[in-house]
Amino acid sequence: MIQCKTSKAISGMGHSMKRKEDARFLQGKGHYVDDIKLPGMLYMDIVRSPYAYAKIKSINSEEAMKVPGVVAVVTGRDLEKYNLHWMPTLMSDTQMVLPTDTVMYQAQEVCAVIATSRYAARDGREAVRVEYEPMKPVIDPYKAMDANAPVLRSDKEGKKDNHIWNWKVGNKEKTDKVFDTAEVVVKQHMHIPRIHVASIETCGCVADYDKVNNHLTMYMTTQAPHAIRTVIALVAGHVGLTEEKVRVVSPDIGGGFGGKVPVYPGYVIAIAVSFLVGKPVKWIEDRSENLQADSFARDYHITVEMAGTKAGKIQATRFKVLADHGYTDASANPSKFNTGLFSIATGSYDYDTSYMEADAVYTNKPPGGVAYRCSFRVTEAVHAIERITDRFAFEIGKDPAQLRMDNFIKKEDFPWKSPTGWIYDSGDYHAGLKKAMEAIGYDELRKEQAEKRKKGELMGIGISTFTEIVGAGPSKDFDILGIKMFDSAEIRVHPTGKAIARFGTKSQGQGHETTYAQIIAEELGIPAENIQIEEGDTDTAPYGLGTYASRSTPTAGAAASIAARKLRDKARKIAAYLLEVSEDDLEWEPGKFSVKGAPEKSKTIQEIVFAAYTNHPQGMEAGFEATHYYDPPNLTFPSGAYICVVDIDKETGAINVRRFVAIDDCGHIINPMIVQGQVHGGLTQGIAPAMYEELIYDEDGNILNGTFMDYLVPTAVESPHWETGHVVTPSPHHPIGAKGVGESPTVGSPPAIVNAIVDALSPYGITHMDIPVTPYKVWKALKDKGAI
Amino acid sequence: MTTTITKTFHVDHSIDDTWNNLTNPNQVVVCVPGATLTSKVDENNYNGEVELKVGPVKAKYNGLITFLERDAATKKMSLKGVGTDSKGKGGAEMKMDGQLTEKDGGTEVNVSMEVNITGMLAQFGSRLINDVTNQVFDQFVNNFKNQLAGKEVNTTLNAGSLMGGVVKGIFGKK
Repeated sequence: MIQCKTSKAISGMGHSMKRKEDARFLQGKGHYVDDIKLPGMLYMDIVRSPYAYAKIKSINSEEAMKVPGVVAVVTGRDLEKYNLHWMPTLMSDTQMVLPTDTVMYQAQEVCAVIATSRYAARDGREAVRVEYEPMKPVIDPYKAMDANAPVLRSDKEGKKDNHIWNWKVGNKEKTDKVFDTAEVVVKQHMHIPRIHVASIETCGCVADYDKVNNHLTMYMTTQAPHAIRTVIALVAGHVGLTEEKVRVVSPDIGGGFGGKVPVYPGYVIAIAVSFLVGKPVKWIEDRSENLQADSFARDYHITVEMAGTKAGKIQATRFKVLADHGYTDASANPSKFNTGLFSIATGSYDYDTSYMEADAVYTNKPPGGVAYRCSFRVTEAVHAIERITDRFAFEIGKDPAQLRMDNFIKKEDFPWKSPTGWIYDSGDYHAGLKKAMEAIGYDELRKEQAEKRKKGELMGIGISTFTEIVGAGPSKDFDILGIKMFDSAEIRVHPTGKAIARFGTKSQGQGHETTYAQIIAEELGIPAENIQIEEGDTDTAPYGLGTYASRSTPTAGAAASIAARKLRDKARKIAAYLLEVSEDDLEWEPGKFSVKGAPEKSKTIQEIVFAAYTNHPQGMEAGFEATHYYDPPNLTFPSGAYICVVDIDKETGAINVRRFVAIDDCGHIINPMIVQGQVHGGLTQGIAPAMYEELIYDEDGNILNGTFMDYLVPTAVESPHWETGHVVTPSPHHPIGAKGVGESPTVGSPPAIVNAIVDALSPYGITHMDIPVTPYKVWKALKDKGAI
Repeated sequence: MTTTITKTFHVDHSIDDTWNNLTNPNQVVVCVPGATLTSKVDENNYNGEVELKVGPVKAKYNGLITFLERDAATKKMSLKGVGTDSKGKGGAEMKMDGQLTEKDGGTEVNVSMEVNITGMLAQFGSRLINDVTNQVFDQFVNNFKNQLAGKEVNTTLNAGSLMGGVVKGIFGKK
């Protein structure tokens, strides 16, 4: 049960306050980028490549220009004149805005059609004639690494292969030694396939350049408006768009999940065209463009090994990764972390030896590698460790729950240093798994399973006990394009005691307008409903790196708390002045200061704030405002214990998720209802890659499921009943002890599902299934083993 | 994406008649629904076009048809077509191998067709391409038999089918 320090009227932390933003969302009154209509606005549509790899012989816009309403067709050659035909990626790689000679992946932007209506732009797009000379693409990342593979990035001077980078961490020699002498070694190769973030709203923008004032307002679907402003200034400063001349506005966003972090060519083309013609230009992707061309997530080929004793003690792990980044490394990781935070892959277990190595490679597929509801490659890491832990348990014939219990880091051992150098802040893994096992009735289920196996029925129980790593991040190590990954909050309390607070982050559905208000309410005692939250406008909000990778609560949430505490300190001074006592004689309870021992002598926060404007002490700065830029001292390490039960139809391979229990530890909870909503959504986005989603390419680089007709996103029908619960170990270094929760369920649930499926199939010698585990794969595996 | 289909069928005609029909570009091409020859480049190379509609995607491929092999002695032929969509939606490649053998007083025709499609048709129609190719092939076989028997050749797929061919050009509407 969550203890609340504040009354329901104040609704600080722990209250299931209804989301303030829902009043407009539920009434269809959200204001998204496509709702923006400006006088004289032009519309842009994009011609895309049907080939994965081809030379452009010619682009003929003659017919397109005849379409009524079409005003221009913009090609790479046009942008080249202004040196705007290429751009840097967030990983300091390079990417074409529009090609001048060669297309590198199917659905790549080839040229843009500008027209006076969206229909005319689409008609114009259909009328553009592009002549290609197709070339044989490189699709398989392993083949791309071959010595004789064609060099795809020949645009890079001196590039002689398709290798992007090599990354390693841990102690190789020590690890190899443990493996050489270990009693038990298990090894598994797995592919975490390329998937799509599938936000309801696609990407788009309205670029509005004002020639007279030399000022650009960029309305766009971005999770990181401030960083985007800086990037625009860096890329277009040479044509006069310096940072004070650029305003980026992120209106309401219909889901981001990492897909709205990168800068896509469409944004840049819209800016370039608006800059050249002096009119606003709107660009909105359609569903297939969003699915086919925008940044994918995952696509890691992993070989994982675990060494241990026959008695079940984990001694070491070893990981080898091949990362397929497509045409360019367009991930959005912190600069120093090529593989993001993959090095969390040592998991929740107490051992001190691990070695990891990764190579990245170019192929003729769309670029990316974004963190889809996952703090930079943590999903891949968790899948690898949780699968291999199950394999190890199976190999030595030990119950996977018991094996985990025997190997968990103990709660008294936190802070705990991982073999790859992370300092886990806090956790109680034993309590989490115990709670999950009790909730689901683990022992009974094992008995039921034994009975069913006798009858030849397939039932499986799968566990995932994961450790997340979020809240990037401390400025010592974390930056994106050199900008440190702090985040910010600015609170202004008005004379009547109501407030507005602005942040460097940007909600895409997380509920910031409610949770940030609750954090401030907790600290200041001003009712959360009287605190308005604003984000997304770089002209008004303090600078920050944005919302992704579960970083908002750990960074901006902490900033809100500390800024509010600065105000409470000021309130104490004013209260002392008003009550004519010393500051030390005052006692704080949410919403008021009172004199110790004389509780009838008190001042409410509203009275104090009013005095800050009407009767402030001489020598004190008037007003009631505070700002804080929070640089976290460490990351936060949420964790979870998930258990899944599946029943499998032997004849059809159909998988039924009978039960799913998720016990999360996200530290102190700001709003239990919002956390539960986040967990439900995250679990559904976990069942998605586990059982349904994968972007499939053939050997020619054609995407074979480029629409929602073929790319299977789970709906309410596919979603099981989620049973959720909590263990609370507050983060010791976070001002309010919160850790972040948005990603945990997406990160932690796929291996629970797969472990359950493999457990169900294990009597037939099946020890692994690559995701997505479809009925066909199950049926085929059973058939191959002669089980049916 | 690549689709391969092999079919064997019997015709009540002599192997030489069948061979002449199969290796005559003007005869064999019109048996493919939606296909037409537009011009002759040389003895082995012809320009042609094929119009296809799969689901929401319509594509018209202009390309070159090449006889790779026409061996009258062994009765083996091989034909290749390479085309790109005139609206830049993608490309298609088709290789057809034919082998004739005398059987039961007639001829047994063994034809295998490998179709490789890139671009929008592959993206949107991948689930349908096998079926469509199969239908086209069946109709090709019917047309080929009809042609040998001196009957009408139906160059368009039946209305309501997944794919409708529209044939233009001089051989189109005879």
